[in-house]
Amino acid sequence: METLILVIIGLVAAPLLGGLIAGLDRRVTAWFQSRQGPPIMQAFYDVAKLFGKEKMVVNQWQILCAWVYLIAAAVSVALFFAQGDLLLVFFVQAIGAVFLVMGAMAAKSPYSQVGAQRELLQILAYEPILILVFVGFYMVTGSFSIDAIWAQDLPLLARMPLLYLALGYALTIKLRKSPFDFSTSHHGHQELVKGVLTEYSGPYLGLIEIAHWYETVLVLSLCALFWHTNVAWMALLLVATYLLEILVDNTMARMTWRWMLKRVWLLGMGMSVVNLIWLYAG
Amino acid sequence: MSNLLVLLILLPAAAALVCYFVRSMAVRRLTVLATGGILTLSALGLLAQGTFAPTEVGSFLGIGSDFLVTVLDFVLLGVIYFYGYKHKSLLIQGFTLAQVVLLAWFEFFMVGHEAVPAMMGDQLSLIMVLVISIVGSLICIFALPYMKEHEEHLHLKKTRQPRFFFFMLIFLGAMNGLVLSNNILWMYFFFEVTTFCSFMLIGHDATEIATKNAVRALWMNALGGLAFVIGMMLVYTQAGTLNISAILALGTTAPVMLTGLAFLCLAGFTKAAQVPFQSWLLGAMVAPTPVSALLHSSTMVKAGVFVVLRFAPAFAGTFLSTGVAVCGAFTFLACAALGVGQSNGKKILAYSTVGNLGLIICCAGINTPLALTAAIILILFHAISKSLLFLCVGTIEQSIGSRDIEDMRGLYGSNPRTALITIVGILTMILPPFGVLLGKWMAMEASADSNIFVVVMLAMGSAMMVVYLARWAGSMMGSRKPGARAESQPMLIRLPLMTLCLGAVVLSLASPWIYNSMLAPWIGSAPFVVGFGSLESAHGTFVVVPLFLVLGLGLLYAVRAASGYRRVKIMPPYVSGANSASGDGAYVGPMNGDVPFSTGNLYLGEMFAEPKLTPIFNALAVALIVLMLGGAL
Repeated sequence: METLILVIIGLVAAPLLGGLIAGLDRRVTAWFQSRQGPPIMQAFYDVAKLFGKEKMVVNQWQILCAWVYLIAAAVSVALFFAQGDLLLVFFVQAIGAVFLVMGAMAAKSPYSQVGAQRELLQILAYEPILILVFVGFYMVTGSFSIDAIWAQDLPLLARMPLLYLALGYALTIKLRKSPFDFSTSHHGHQELVKGVLTEYSGPYLGLIEIAHWYETVLVLSLCALFWHTNVAWMALLLVATYLLEILVDNTMARMTWRWMLKRVWLLGMGMSVVNLIWLYAG
Repeated sequence: MSNLLVLLILLPAAAALVCYFVRSMAVRRLTVLATGGILTLSALGLLAQGTFAPTEVGSFLGIGSDFLVTVLDFVLLGVIYFYGYKHKSLLIQGFTLAQVVLLAWFEFFMVGHEAVPAMMGDQLSLIMVLVISIVGSLICIFALPYMKEHEEHLHLKKTRQPRFFFFMLIFLGAMNGLVLSNNILWMYFFFEVTTFCSFMLIGHDATEIATKNAVRALWMNALGGLAFVIGMMLVYTQAGTLNISAILALGTTAPVMLTGLAFLCLAGFTKAAQVPFQSWLLGAMVAPTPVSALLHSSTMVKAGVFVVLRFAPAFAGTFLSTGVAVCGAFTFLACAALGVGQSNGKKILAYSTVGNLGLIICCAGINTPLALTAAIILILFHAISKSLLFLCVGTIEQSIGSRDIEDMRGLYGSNPRTALITIVGILTMILPPFGVLLGKWMAMEASADSNIFVVVMLAMGSAMMVVYLARWAGSMMGSRKPGARAESQPMLIRLPLMTLCLGAVVLSLASPWIYNSMLAPWIGSAPFVVGFGSLESAHGTFVVVPLFLVLGLGLLYAVRAASGYRRVKIMPPYVSGANSASGDGAYVGPMNGDVPFSTGNLYLGEMFAEPKLTPIFNALAVALIVLMLGGAL
């Protein structure tokens, strides 16, 4: 029963929180760039407007893929809130990622095709890191279930600092921020139009936007697990992490996939492995 | 009991003879269909009767069966030597001669020839029999219309199908024999039969390249056979028995025993095409597609992982076990990397097979109850999904004349049925809540207990595998003209495709019960508890049925939304300019000419080029195998 309530809270709160974060993100970014920026609720207005638009697609696969992306993202958040198995949460999340790519590939559009290829490269970069982070959780708690984390006395950050840094890479990629934003660039002047999202419009783009909010909350929830002992510190950790993400987003140029793969695999995996060795030895 | 065993092993052989000598198509059709049906029923019957302790087989036409197997062994080695001589392969001749000499020494001077019960059926054998008999039969049935069309393409004067079905059916019988063997000499005999069948089937089309690849497959597997004989002899010197269940119960870790087991694992590696032996399986692609499907899913390579799994309990907790795990994980990673660079559909499937076999062997090496469960789940579901995908590629190839995934772009437009089944097949390989992913999940949770190299290799390999399969599934989606007719599929093509596709989905849903009834009893301390359709262990929980319900309902809703697409405005894609009137993704370019749409996947040639990576991976794998063999001492 308790689980069910948690799941419902997760399903309802995640998109609200995700939208709010998106709005805040734009405000802070504007502040960095000495602009005023839109209202904090702008993300919700945008999506509401999208749902009012006419339904247009290139073919029916896009409708299917947009829905499955949203459903998988919501289910992975629900599983997370149900204190489920971290690896399973990750695999369910991967359903959404795969369907987003497939939807982009279904259209005969050069932009969405290139976007899809780039999204695949992003998956290639962040997936191993996420798995290693989960293995780190297992090493500390003896289980892949989120349940087991609450039984720990010390914040996990103390034992897995490098894994947290590596998770930062995954977070940046998953949030599609510079320097790793090349599958769905947010900036109009860049040559790829909108990458994987090029062919989505109206309500279907709205669905994808909401799915992205779910994913944002999912990845941030993962970060939150690193300081589960104290809500205040957890909040501080999250705020600091997200501010850092925005700072990185605004100070870094978009890089090529080669740069990303090398950086993330060498540095990200390197840090993860070193941290895992500590845990194995300890 | 013994009647079922006779049916499972000897019926395919008898049916093979019928196919070979009665050269009528109607008889062949009937024979293959009936054999498939009877094999399926026998496998289910064997399952219903449950496991059985090692049993005697007795004599056959007044001749002792052990003696018969020995004679057949030498006959078979003679035949293999003959083919080595015919194709001027010194490697085959050398490996076969060495086998003959060692085997003769073993048979005449070492073995005491006490009576050993020849057959046994534990859960592992029963599951393998199901996979071989049902999936294998479906592939043989698919081959009926496929080979007819295949030969029409080749314009053969005289049909070679009798020979083809002869070896396909013998293969099934030999595999059933292999997995049910309790006498290690019998296991060796069936092991060699599968080597020979695969050689004949790979070279079936008798083209230059087919012969070349068949010869390569034969020498690599002859090496495996040699390793098997050496392993068998070493194990015998320590254990003093040919009885496999007695060997497993012995529980000794004397160096001689471990080295023997290491050689048996090496034999398994060659048969399962682990790096550096992967080239024979990739070369086997030149064979007609049903052969590839059979080799990759229910026979041959599964014989390799079976041998490793069969003996895994005997080396649990030793350095050899770690060595096996590392070798398997390395193959998983290497083949995932090699797969990223491929655009040939069959090659992609081949690398994914070898990779998944590596994962199974890795699980056998991790050797905990959880890991062994993962291995069997992977064997079962990989067989279903992979045979389905090979049959799909065969169907697509006969329809569009290419097996390159770039040529399959937008396949849904012209072949919606095949494309849909293929997409579902691919998704069952990489996504939850399907069985292969369930196995991968178990493997990863189990690997966290193992060692850090294994974990890292599995994490990286898993991501790459998702990339190259998702890319393929996505490119088959595409637009379809309103009112276009779906392609027609012959009955005997559609039946296996639909059965396998449904099997992959429905059996995944049933996995908690499959686990409870078939896997848990095999493993001494069952790692999972089944509750609410979920598999719970100390490591974590996979909510199979709830996930199926939620995602299934979600998918139904999504499909309904998508099928209402006629009410949605269909737009041409955005090409940052004027779309051409011809539609189809083309746009109006310079001089008002149409620029056609074309696109290609990113194969990351600079990082994942096959010619560049293969020698490096092979060298590393050889080093790891040497480490494994040496470490066993």
